[in-house]
Amino acid sequence: MGSHCEIQFFDDSRIYAKRLAKKLTDEASRLENKYSRFKSDSFLSQINAQAGAKNGIEIDQETKLLFDHALTCYEQSEGLFDITSGRLSRIWNFKGGQIPDQKLIASALNNTGFEKLSWHQSRLLMPEGMEIDFGGIVKEYAADSLARLARTSGCNSGLLNLGGDFSVIGPMPEQKSWPIGITQPDSTGSIMATVNLSNGGLASSGDYERFFFFEGERYSHILNPTTGWPSKGLRAVSVASHLCTVAGSMASIAMLKSESDGIQWLTDSGLPHVYMKQDGSIGGPS
Amino acid sequence: MKAKPSRSLLAISTTALALPGIAIADAPPVNSSLSYQVSNYKEDNLTREESPFGDLGRYDIDVHQFQFISPIGRNFSLQVDANYEDLSGASPWFTTLSPSGSPIVNLSGASGIEDSRSELSVGTRYYLENGSIGGNIGYSEENDYRATYGGISAERHFNNDLTTVSISLSYSSDDIFPTDAEIFNRVISEDKSSTSAAINISQIINQVSTFQTAFSITEQSGFLTDPYKLIDTRPDNKTQIAWSNSYRRYIRGSNAAWHVNYRFYHDDFGVTSHTADMSWHQNFGSTIQVIPMLRYYNQSAADFFTNVDDFSRPATDFQSSDYRLSAFGAISAGLTIKTTVGDWDATVTGERYLANEKYSAFSVSQPSAALVRYFRVSLGLDFSF
Repeated sequence: MGSHCEIQFFDDSRIYAKRLAKKLTDEASRLENKYSRFKSDSFLSQINAQAGAKNGIEIDQETKLLFDHALTCYEQSEGLFDITSGRLSRIWNFKGGQIPDQKLIASALNNTGFEKLSWHQSRLLMPEGMEIDFGGIVKEYAADSLARLARTSGCNSGLLNLGGDFSVIGPMPEQKSWPIGITQPDSTGSIMATVNLSNGGLASSGDYERFFFFEGERYSHILNPTTGWPSKGLRAVSVASHLCTVAGSMASIAMLKSESDGIQWLTDSGLPHVYMKQDGSIGGPS
Repeated sequence: MKAKPSRSLLAISTTALALPGIAIADAPPVNSSLSYQVSNYKEDNLTREESPFGDLGRYDIDVHQFQFISPIGRNFSLQVDANYEDLSGASPWFTTLSPSGSPIVNLSGASGIEDSRSELSVGTRYYLENGSIGGNIGYSEENDYRATYGGISAERHFNNDLTTVSISLSYSSDDIFPTDAEIFNRVISEDKSSTSAAINISQIINQVSTFQTAFSITEQSGFLTDPYKLIDTRPDNKTQIAWSNSYRRYIRGSNAAWHVNYRFYHDDFGVTSHTADMSWHQNFGSTIQVIPMLRYYNQSAADFFTNVDDFSRPATDFQSSDYRLSAFGAISAGLTIKTTVGDWDATVTGERYLANEKYSAFSVSQPSAALVRYFRVSLGLDFSF
C-alpha cells in the first residue's frame, strides 16, 4: 500500500487468529496488486497504459463500482475530487521542490476531467495522456473490505490501520472503543487530537509529509484539478464515519476546497471531524 | 450540535455501500432457518377407455417437509431434514389388450394402496477459506421399503470466487419386502444398492449472468423390478448418466431474471430423455416474486418396454409395461408466488403436468395407456432467526 499498515485483532484461538491474519493480508495484497499506481503490472497500470486506445479496456465490476463512487465524489465536490488527475501529480515533484513549467501544468490539465471518460457497456475509453489515480478511495475501501472480511470470518474485536486510514472490525475487549491519535501535519509525532472509535472508520487527508517550501510559500501535494496548482485550503482533515471509504472521500473533498468552504463542508456533513487551518489552529466539533 | 447529514454525504455513502467488499454477504450461514412445506400431488383418474374394469383412482400423495439449518460455532453448519408422505390410490397392475386391439390398464386392487413414508436425514458442513466439505446420512421407511443412505461432498471456490467446483459421492442401500407377498405370489424380500458420483461447475459470467453445468453417473444393482406388477422382469444392473445445464440472467430494466435449464439423461435400459424448462422470476419491489414456469420433457422407451404384458414369454425374459419406461412427451406449466414479511418467507406453487405419447418429439410405436397427468400444489413457510 506504499505506507505503514497494521492489523490488530483479538481472538481466543491462536489458530483462527493466524488464519484470519493471512486471509486479511491476502486480501490487502490482492487490492494492492490490482490498484497500485506504482506497480507496472497492476490492473490500474493496465488501465492507464491503454489511455487513447480505440477499443478501450474491459473493466470488472469491482473497478466499475469504484469508478461509480469516484463519479459521485466528482459531482458532489463540483469537480474538485477527480481521479483522472493522475497526470497532474506526476509533474509536481515534491521531492525536488520546484514549481513545474506552466505549459506542463496546462498540458496536464488538458488530460484531466472525469467527463472525458466514456463507457461502452463495461469497456472504458480514456483520452490519450490521461492517468487514473484512485488515491483517496482505494486504501479506504481496502480498510472497509478487510474489516468486513474479518467480521464475516467471525472476528468481532479489532482495528485496521492502512497508512492512517482506520476501519474498526469491532470494539476492544470489554466493549471499549479504540483511541486513535491524529498527528499534527508539521511536527513528527505530536498529537493534535484523539478520537475514540468503536465502529466505522476514520480517514485523514493532509499535507503530512509531501509538501515543499518555495520562496517562502508552502506547497502541499493536494492538487486542485481545476487550476493544476496545490490547494491552499485546510492543512489537515480527519473525518470519522460509518465507513472509512465515506470518511476518506469527505476528508479529501474538504482538503480541496478553500479553507472556509472546507470547514463549512465538514460542518454540513454532521460527521465527527477535526481540522488544522493554514495558521496552525485546530478546529472541529467539540 | 450535530447537524443533519448533508445530501453530499448521503450520495457518497450510497455509492460506497455498493462497493463489493462492503456490500456482498458471505456464504457461511450466520442465521438459523426453519422451513416447512406441505404439498399435494394428485394424479388424474384413469378414464373408462383406459381401464374398463375396476377402480379408476390413481395416486394421491400428501408430502410434509421440514428443514432446519443452523451454524454451529464458527466453521460448521448443521442441516436436518424430515419428510413425511401419506400415499393412497392405486398403481397399474397389468396391461392387456382390449377387444378393439388397444392396450388397457388394470389398477392394483379395488381398495387401492394405503402407505406412508417417513424420512430423516442429518448433514453437516465444514467451511474452509475457499470452500467447504460436508457429509450427510439418512434413513427412510415405508411399509414395504427401507433405505439407508449417506453422502460426502466437497466444494471449492476459484478465480476470486467467480468459479465454484463441487464433487459429491453418495451411496444408498435399500430393502424391499412387498406386502401380501404370499397371497399374490410376490417376492418376499429383496434388496438393491445405488452408488452415485457427481461434479458440478458454477461460473459467474458477469454481474448479471451465471452458468452452471453438472454431470452425474449412478450405478444401481440388485432388484430393480416392480414387485407389484403381475409380470415385470428387469435387468439387475442399471447405469444412469445425467448432464444438467443452467443459465440465469438478470434483466435490469425489468427487475426480473430468466432461468433456462436443459438436462440430458441416458440409462442402459435404453431410456434417453431431454428436459428443457424456463422460468421468469419477476420481482415486485423487494418483497414479492412471481415465477411462471414452462417445461418440456421427452423420453424414449426402454429396450424391453411393452405396452401389453406378454404372459406367454418365460418369466426370465426382460419385459415391463411400466409407463415410466415408455416413450412419451410431457408438458408442464407452473406458477410460484413468493413473499417476504420480516423474517418470514412464504411460497405458494401450483403445477399442472400432462404426459402423452402425442407430445413426444418422435413417433411412438408402443404408447402406454397409463401415462400420468397430475396437479401439484404446495405451500412453504421459512423462518430465519
